[in-house]
Amino acid sequence: MKAKLAFFDFTGCEGCQLEVLNFETELVELLNHVDIVNFREAKTESEDNYEIAFVEGSITRESEIPKLKKIRQQAKIVVALGACACLGGVNCLKNFRPMKENLRIVYGDAAKYYDTIPARPISSIVPVDYYVHGCPIDKKEFLKVTKALLLGKRPEIPNYPVCVECKLAGNVCTFDKGETCLGPVTRAGCNAICISNGRHCWGCRGPVDDPNTNSEKEILQKHGLTVEDILNQFRIFNGYLEVSK
Amino acid sequence: MISQAVPQASIYLPHLAELIRIEPIAEREKVFEFRLKDGKELGHKPGQFVELSIFGIGEAPISLSSSPTKKGSFELAVRNVGNVTNALHNLDIGATVGIRGPFGNGFPVDNLKGKDIVIVAGGIGLFPLRSLINYILDKRSEFGRLIILSGSRTPQERMFVNELEKWHKREDVELLETVDEGDEEWTGHVGVVTTLSSEVHIDPEKIFAVVVGPPVMYKFVVAECHKKGIPDERIIMSLERRMKCGIGKCGHCQINGVYVCQEGPVFTYAEVKKLREAI
Amino acid sequence: MENKIIEKQNMAPFVDNLINAEAEVIGPKRKDGKYAFDKLIETGELCLDYDTTLLPPKMYLFPPKETLIKFELGKEPEVEPVVEAKPLILFGVHPYDIKAIELLDVAFSTTNPDINYLSKREKAVIIGVDCLNPNPNAFCPSLGTATAETGFDLMLTDIGDSYVVAIGSSKGEQLLTKYAETREASQVELAQRNSERQKALARYKVTLNISPEELPQLLDKSWDSPWWKEKSEKCLSCGSCIVVCPTCFCFDVQDDVTLNLKEGERYRQWDGCMLVDFAAVAGGGNFRGDKESRFRHRMYRKGKYIWERYGKLGCVGCGRCASACLAEIASPAETFNRLKEESK
Ligand SMILES: Cc1cc2nc3c(=O)[nH]c(=O)nc-3n(C[C@H](O)[C@H](O)[C@H](O)COP(=O)(O)OP(=O)(O)OC[C@H]3O[C@@H](n4cnc5c(N)ncnc54)[C@H](O)[C@@H]3O)c2cc1C
Ligand code: SF4
Ligand code: SF4
Ligand code: SF4
Ligand code: SF4
Ligand code: SF4
Ligand code: FES
Repeated sequence: MKAKLAFFDFTGCEGCQLEVLNFETELVELLNHVDIVNFREAKTESEDNYEIAFVEGSITRESEIPKLKKIRQQAKIVVALGACACLGGVNCLKNFRPMKENLRIVYGDAAKYYDTIPARPISSIVPVDYYVHGCPIDKKEFLKVTKALLLGKRPEIPNYPVCVECKLAGNVCTFDKGETCLGPVTRAGCNAICISNGRHCWGCRGPVDDPNTNSEKEILQKHGLTVEDILNQFRIFNGYLEVSK
Repeated sequence: MISQAVPQASIYLPHLAELIRIEPIAEREKVFEFRLKDGKELGHKPGQFVELSIFGIGEAPISLSSSPTKKGSFELAVRNVGNVTNALHNLDIGATVGIRGPFGNGFPVDNLKGKDIVIVAGGIGLFPLRSLINYILDKRSEFGRLIILSGSRTPQERMFVNELEKWHKREDVELLETVDEGDEEWTGHVGVVTTLSSEVHIDPEKIFAVVVGPPVMYKFVVAECHKKGIPDERIIMSLERRMKCGIGKCGHCQINGVYVCQEGPVFTYAEVKKLREAI
Repeated sequence: MENKIIEKQNMAPFVDNLINAEAEVIGPKRKDGKYAFDKLIETGELCLDYDTTLLPPKMYLFPPKETLIKFELGKEPEVEPVVEAKPLILFGVHPYDIKAIELLDVAFSTTNPDINYLSKREKAVIIGVDCLNPNPNAFCPSLGTATAETGFDLMLTDIGDSYVVAIGSSKGEQLLTKYAETREASQVELAQRNSERQKALARYKVTLNISPEELPQLLDKSWDSPWWKEKSEKCLSCGSCIVVCPTCFCFDVQDDVTLNLKEGERYRQWDGCMLVDFAAVAGGGNFRGDKESRFRHRMYRKGKYIWERYGKLGCVGCGRCASACLAEIASPAETFNRLKEESK
């Protein structure tokens, strides 16, 4: 019997779903084993029967909460897809501004019609079984997780920092080039793609289970960053973690 | 340059084995019986382990639970805790798995011959010890007294209940059981396994203790052995570590400088004492 | 050992000949201000005066990721071993990396010979070059790894206008005869080689204040030193130190399947004791769950365990770990010197 998959998205850039759509050839092969019963539209009716729900986007409105709970009820396995769903993601930047102000910035005068709440990862509302991290997600990792779930296996997601993959990729460390990097506290799995492409890691995959943030801060300071710079760096993706402390 | 010629065979290639019997023994534990597809004997010693493959899922080290005196097949007793063990629990009879091994040193059965033996089993520590117990029972005259102290957390978590009953009935086995927490139906001893020791009288001159259980258990059992006058060289234990290759290459199983998959998993306490990371 | 001379202007044709005629040639090339081993397309890319490379050349004998077996899934699974090996010339390997490969040779051939490593090793030719510009974190002279007498097919030393070539094997000699224009080395040139090596020794900035033979004993006494906790406090568990190390050889093994879920492979990939989950077991236990014990274990491997197990040093003093460690704690030299201090 084919496994039934569903994709849902809440507040996010939909970059992750675009990424999923981006590998048609692989999806076609995978479709021999799965039925995709829902893509995008989070229906509140329970007619859908799916086993694995991939949820993208963070929760930024009251009205999204019951929808997410419904999904959790229906699905055997809930997978958070992308930085927004996993961590709150870039959407959490708004958490550092008063809510009213956010509304004004985004919607201007229409703001009073929206019920925006602090952006939060889906795990703050419902239990999440697995995470496909990243902004956007890495296609290989998405396939790896999906294959594992179809085989009834817990996907092996790295719990070591990006530095491992960065070194394996043979990169020169950005710190050696006079720049800074969040790789040492960020969960690997992206093959250090940003560094390999000449940029630095800004932490889109979120922290490893037990990051040594004190040591990282010290290193960043030693390389010329102020505390404020550091907080900003951490906030881009990991804002929810910080404000929820 | 290279001290050895390039070998012919890959040490990572498993043999295929067929699952011929499954028997549930507790909530998360089952016994699986296998036969090698090439018709050969596995040829193990009690206390050795195999690397069991479920293709597509992975490999896990599992102790042989049957005695080598049992020919034609072998048994693994497995607790469902993760990927490989869960996949194994979902298999049906007739399924094919991969087997590498047997690996490790095993219990020093030759040293045990002619001696009294007290076996101390905590929880699924009984899995590897069952191989030794049945080996001793099949060659009963070659060994002295056989005392078995077996501890489980609860009555529901007793492993191999049928076999325990059989051993209870034998004249030549002294079996004492305990559970950490009893229930209404449990009329036996309650308390951790070391609390059984007051009921056992031994001759420290000719006894070996063989201990397998969860990591926390060892220190207490060793202290008890010392009280009874059993010297370190005759306290034998099997240690568990994360393993990947099983053959001394991947490095995962190290305790200090020792590779558990090679020099172990069975050690004397005299050896363990020198390893600061061991217990 | 026989020695020849290759004039500098004859070096490029030699390398070109190897590239064109013999096998894949791997050598140190520039990379963003550092150096990295890579496949040579043309001689011009080769930098023989490099300090050290980002990753060690062991990656060509023990690749970061390597398939071990392939299988078909289903009721009657089929399995077959996968052993990939092709002729390879590692050109411009420094003596410390040669010593490290000698350790890997022992580790992969003792007890259960590893066909995946040994097949690649057998097909590899090693052309060394003396390290005359050591990197600032290296301490090879203290470990006797600044020069190598064995473990290579050819060994080059830059003596100005030419290279002295020591011949280490008949394979090396054949390559030389076939592809290089050489002449006999004179006594003067051999003396020059010695003096270049001597001069290089003076360029090392880090020294170990203890002889390598004494390290196991020193470590025996140092288990309870406060150093382990104090120093490891800053460890990021980032694994940089073990990934760049030429003598590390630990690995993880995992299965992967194709998208049609019908076949798959089992592969190994580099892993190491500084990573959090290296000694973790199912159910949440971790036998080296804190930074302190991981940090200490790595140092014991480098100074004691490997030595006792394989009769070779577990560290060759290349300094790559120290260069790679952002927390500035990974250098075995610093730790060993400090423990020596403490033990006085
Ligand atoms: C020498 C030895 C004998 C053992 N004998 C038995 C036995 O008879 N019965 C039994 O039920 N269990 C036994 N175990 C424990 C068993 O190996 C683990 O429960 C099993 O590896 C978990 O694998 P998994 O894939 O299900 O779990 P996951 O959590 O998915 O583990 C992933 C991988 O990590 C490694 N790993 C995880 N936990 C352990 C562990 N405790 N020990 C070693 N490697 C681990 C394995 O390579 C495993 O495949 C033994 C362990 C050792 C070292
Ligand atoms: S560039 Fe970033 S990820 Fe790469 S090694 Fe340096 S700190 Fe780590
Ligand atoms: S390198 Fe960092 S920012 Fe880039 S994809 Fe990986 S985790 Fe995200
Ligand atoms: S010692 Fe340094 S390089 Fe090694 S894991 Fe710790 S921080 Fe990373
Ligand atoms: S431990 Fe450091 S100095 Fe020693 S060989 Fe490894 S990388 Fe080089
Ligand atoms: S130092 Fe650690 S990673 Fe390196 S070989 Fe030793 S145990 Fe393995
Ligand atoms: S399990 Fe790989 S070395 Fe012991």
